[in-house]
Amino acid sequence: MQPESAMTPALEVTVLVSIGRHPLTGRVRRADQDARGVELARSLADAEVRLLHAGECNESSEAALRGYLGMGFSELALIEQPEGADVLPALSEALDATSPHLVITGERAERGEGSGLLPYLLAERLGWPLVSGLAAVESVEDGMATLLQALPRGQRRRLKIRLPAIVTVDDAAPTPRQSAYGPARRGTLETSAGEVCNDDEWATWQVQPARPRPKRLKIVKAASARDRFKAAAAKAEGTGGQVLTDVTPTQGAEAILTLLRDEEVLR
Amino acid sequence: MSQLPRRDPRQEWIARNRLHPRHEEVLAALGQGATSEWPGPNGLVRKNPHRVGFIGPNGIKRIDRSGTQQGAGGGKASAPVAEHKPLTEIAEPAFLVAVVPDMAGGRLSGHDKDLLGLARRLADADPAAQGAVLAVVFGSHKETNLGEAGVDRLLHLDSPEIAGYAPEARLGALITVEQAWTPRHWLLPDSKLGGGELGRRLAARLGERPATGIWQVEADAESATGWQCTARGAAGSLDIRRPLPRIALALAECAEPVSETRHAAAELVLPQPLPSTLSRIQDLGQVSVDPASVALSEAEFILAAGNGVRDWDAYHRAASVLGATEGASRVAVDEGYMPRDRQVGATGTWVTARVYIAVGISGAIQHLQGIQPCEKVIAINMDPSCDMIKRADLAVIGDSTQILEALVTLVSQAREEKRDAA
Amino acid sequence: MLDILLPILIFSALALAAIGAVRRIRLWRQGRPSPVPVLRGLAAVPRRYLVDLHHVVARDKVMSNTHVATAGGFVAAMGLAIVVHGLGLAEGVLGWLLLAASATMFAGSLFVAQRRRNPPARLSKGPWMRLPKSLMAFSLGIFVVTLPAVGVLPADAGGWLVALVLAAVVAWGLAELVFGMTWGGPMKHAFAGALHLAFHRRPERFSDKRGGEGRSTGLKALDLEDDQAPLGVETPADFTWNQLLGFDACVQCGRCEAVCPAFAAGQPLNPKKLIQDMVVGMAGGSDAHYAGSPYPSPERGDKPVGEHHGTPHGPIVAREGTALVDAETLWSCTTCRACVEECPMMIEHVDAIVDMRRHLTLEEGATPGKGAEVIDNLIATDNPGGFDPGGRLNWAADLDLPLMADVERAEVLLWLGDGVFDMRNQRTLRALIKVLRAADVDFAVLGNEERDSGDVARRLGDEATFQSLARRNIATLSRYRFESIVTCDPHSFHVLKNEYGALYPQGQDADYPVWHHSTFINQLIESGRLPLAPGQAQRVTYHDPCYLGRYNGEYEAPRAVLRALGVELVEMQRSGYRSRCCGGGGGAPITDVPGKQRIPDMRMGDVRETQAEQVVVGCPQCTAMLEGVVPPAGNEATAVKDIAEMVAAALDNTPPATPASHDAAASQATEEVLS
Repeated sequence: MQPESAMTPALEVTVLVSIGRHPLTGRVRRADQDARGVELARSLADAEVRLLHAGECNESSEAALRGYLGMGFSELALIEQPEGADVLPALSEALDATSPHLVITGERAERGEGSGLLPYLLAERLGWPLVSGLAAVESVEDGMATLLQALPRGQRRRLKIRLPAIVTVDDAAPTPRQSAYGPARRGTLETSAGEVCNDDEWATWQVQPARPRPKRLKIVKAASARDRFKAAAAKAEGTGGQVLTDVTPTQGAEAILTLLRDEEVLR
Repeated sequence: MSQLPRRDPRQEWIARNRLHPRHEEVLAALGQGATSEWPGPNGLVRKNPHRVGFIGPNGIKRIDRSGTQQGAGGGKASAPVAEHKPLTEIAEPAFLVAVVPDMAGGRLSGHDKDLLGLARRLADADPAAQGAVLAVVFGSHKETNLGEAGVDRLLHLDSPEIAGYAPEARLGALITVEQAWTPRHWLLPDSKLGGGELGRRLAARLGERPATGIWQVEADAESATGWQCTARGAAGSLDIRRPLPRIALALAECAEPVSETRHAAAELVLPQPLPSTLSRIQDLGQVSVDPASVALSEAEFILAAGNGVRDWDAYHRAASVLGATEGASRVAVDEGYMPRDRQVGATGTWVTARVYIAVGISGAIQHLQGIQPCEKVIAINMDPSCDMIKRADLAVIGDSTQILEALVTLVSQAREEKRDAA
Repeated sequence: MLDILLPILIFSALALAAIGAVRRIRLWRQGRPSPVPVLRGLAAVPRRYLVDLHHVVARDKVMSNTHVATAGGFVAAMGLAIVVHGLGLAEGVLGWLLLAASATMFAGSLFVAQRRRNPPARLSKGPWMRLPKSLMAFSLGIFVVTLPAVGVLPADAGGWLVALVLAAVVAWGLAELVFGMTWGGPMKHAFAGALHLAFHRRPERFSDKRGGEGRSTGLKALDLEDDQAPLGVETPADFTWNQLLGFDACVQCGRCEAVCPAFAAGQPLNPKKLIQDMVVGMAGGSDAHYAGSPYPSPERGDKPVGEHHGTPHGPIVAREGTALVDAETLWSCTTCRACVEECPMMIEHVDAIVDMRRHLTLEEGATPGKGAEVIDNLIATDNPGGFDPGGRLNWAADLDLPLMADVERAEVLLWLGDGVFDMRNQRTLRALIKVLRAADVDFAVLGNEERDSGDVARRLGDEATFQSLARRNIATLSRYRFESIVTCDPHSFHVLKNEYGALYPQGQDADYPVWHHSTFINQLIESGRLPLAPGQAQRVTYHDPCYLGRYNGEYEAPRAVLRALGVELVEMQRSGYRSRCCGGGGGAPITDVPGKQRIPDMRMGDVRETQAEQVVVGCPQCTAMLEGVVPPAGNEATAVKDIAEMVAAALDNTPPATPASHDAAASQATEEVLS
């Protein structure tokens, strides 16, 4: 540890964790992005990490929450909420009370509405700045955190943010460590009651399993009726691919280069 | 001699009259060969069905009416028809539909265009009280046909404080728009950075509950806004049908882009200057990321090497010149030529690259599984019968070292020329 | 003078040995309790020694005879020496017997010395190099001091100086052979080994008088209900006391090292060193005194000894830095059991390794490589690949397989395994189904109700996931009625047959036999249910899957099937119980510890040596591993075929009316299956 660590108070980090859902089987699990958030928090030097969840407390949610404990935590704060409740008041109250320096959370929940609004609402309510799509926290000093935000295709942007702040992590954040059975079994869920605010609007909506979205048809304007028919009936680019045999290396390279230029991957 | 085309009515008459004994001769002279189509005397196109078509598989003559099978020659290329879409101007809009396109790379993305199409639907639903689509564009852009994408009003904000990653300043600008014009709808693309983030910030600031992940909007008289939407929830596993709220974050392909009409894209000016906000987020700029260090699963351009690579230095050089992320087949990793974290395939990393070049990879089933999501696959291989060739969109059969060398030369040449030109 | 000295020497040696024994036993008892039947165990020692242990030792004839002479001579000589010299009862035949015993021992020790002159690399050096001299000292010393006792030499022959020298020689022998036995030293193996035979953790692995084969290969279940019990082994003291006793019995003969595929591949594992490290940990100290081959290291050639150290209650694998053993050593093991099969001291290496892995996975969440991902997949989707569990039968959409859920009872339950998601193994499954249909077997599959058997989870140390999968599979199995289970995956086969039993709810039993498909096909052939077209004149070799052969003793059925097919079967140099692993077991391809070469490459090298056209296997893992081998430049790839594919290709498709002599038709059928 650094020598000054004794002087500077530890960085208090709260990770908001939710109950995930496996995309194929729908089984509960630790949510992927939240787990990445926990991993990110664990990688911060001198950080005191707390886990916080607001939601139901039952057998299946407990199994999922223990997944986070298995990442090496002895306890997780659980604010008990009925199913379908709006957890915002409870969470903001809890965060107000503990006032951590940094709140880390995933971008959106894997169950329920999953609108990804919660961090924004929390930030608005607490008046804290928010940065989304985080890949890493580079350093924290003097009340400022230097962050790396994930841009598409592996690119990164460096940001500096004043603490306290809320950050959401992206899929580019470090892969979460394995959740071990032993610590998961031993850890405790510190249950507390929180302000309950029912989400009445949600109850009026029609919710059903997602239907596959219709594939957009290529609409061919004008031309002849035959062209429109052909466009509608033709297989989408069913070409088997072009094979160049008996070409000089340069010819081959030219063909490749043309494709690379068409795809705009050359910079 | 005059360059004016001169007509010979007699020749034309003979050309039209296919029973004339000199018909073929005249056609040849006119350069039309065995023409099958000509303008008739009344301006109608005349066709000779005996001249067109081909003998089908059952021995029956088939005629393809697409026009692709016209008699050879023809010579008269039809002049490109200048597209004249009707220009729609909405002078007194009943309401505004505000759209904040992402403008990634300074241009409207497909997602943005879809969103503008949706905005048009919302604006044009009631012909009696037509609304106008207001596009709020941040930063400089290169887009010239915003009007064709369906924008009636354009607010272009290009001040230094909203440059780069400045969500708070941009939010401030949107709030000013809200105060100035109070649009009936706010539409933003539900994209990762940009619209998705800005829209949520706006919703949180305005205290409106937005709909996110919208992929379908239908008219519905019963809802407050007159519209019903279907949105994806729970990581894409649920469909939520609900009234369309004021702030909507929509997915790509939520509506058809505008294609029939043209709009004014009249520039608006904010009635008041942007509020100065003290930004708590400071953008230190994009970090230069070495393509070689990009995680395979994120890379967009991968040059993968397999057992067929002989000259590894040449391969690494090619990867760095092309700016491609390096990948490898299992065998190349097992042989120790490449590190384990570079292994592509079902047993390694599943990749989603836009372009995947497989050098000397024969294409084991596990490998092909791992590159399934890749858009374009290029194979460089000695063996024309291997499975990778079957998967590839472009396959070059030959010595990989030479081909890579040629590619490196071409790319560096092109760069050189560009530099010289600049 | 010797008359006075010898009894003192002998009894003080015995006394010292007794003190040493108490100390040694206290070392072992640091381990966790494990109840054993003390008297019955001790009573079983002679049989276990003479039958089971000898069975292993006798694989090396010279060494076996050497050991019989030396050890037998020593036991007899020591016993008689106590009587003759200790108690002074030299009358009659006893003295002569003692002479004969010590002479035999001397002869044996000459062979031991011969072996130590140019010892093979697998033998430990160090103190073991002095053992032949000590053996000679003891046997010669006793021989010479006994000569006066039987009257061949006068009692005072040679005077006091000679007597003193003789006494010193005998003292040396006694020190090494008697109290060295309990104070640590090469002869420790005799004391600990005998007790290990008595109190072995797997008494059922020994044969019994009725001629039972004696095989116990299933891993022991962890009690997950008890939240006080440690999850796996973190410190040496977390082993059960009889496991520690087992480690202490190691004679460092290095047979395990010689057969270990990971060691041969240059992965950082040497079973002998691992066991010695456990002994070091049990006693506390560093491995600096280890005198055998160290762990290989792909970067450094060898891992130098002396860097690792441990204590009975300190961690075996350090979270950071080094402790007793590096984690990669434990993850290199393919759990092929070659070491256990070869060990003359009946040490259970695989149990120990899995115990330590359990700690790493369950307590530290440190499964390396893709292990964590595989385990997460198993938890979320019930298969290691993370495929949709609702798509287990997608490959068989055209086969119209009868589902257990529909038929509820069938003669055979066909356990498909996770190979259903692998396109290569789907070919095997298709072939197997073709064979079953040709033999008119009434079978059904579980379809989407099947889950991974839990094999990989368990070998990776994730006992919790294994038990969860197993219990759910058991619940599924107990809903249906069937006479037997047939599977083409030896890993599922082993787990279903040997490891599910312990997890059945009280009052229920696994009351069905489990067959590997090679066994089952052999039964079909023997009962004449499978019409086979003769005339496959291929030269093939057969690779024994570890989980079929060493784990379950099935070496014969696949060979019988191949013989019935009429192919020419050539054996690899290492086959049967000495078959070399393909590298696919124990999650080794998942943890993927680097070595100097790959295990499947070595195995395909074995295959090529036989010049066979094809290698026949009976395991999806082996198929995948061996097919993944790229042949060296200039060599044709040897085809890898599952035994079911071989049989399916040889099915006689001619209608029964015409005599089965249409080779052309048969070969056409072959084409059909292969395409």
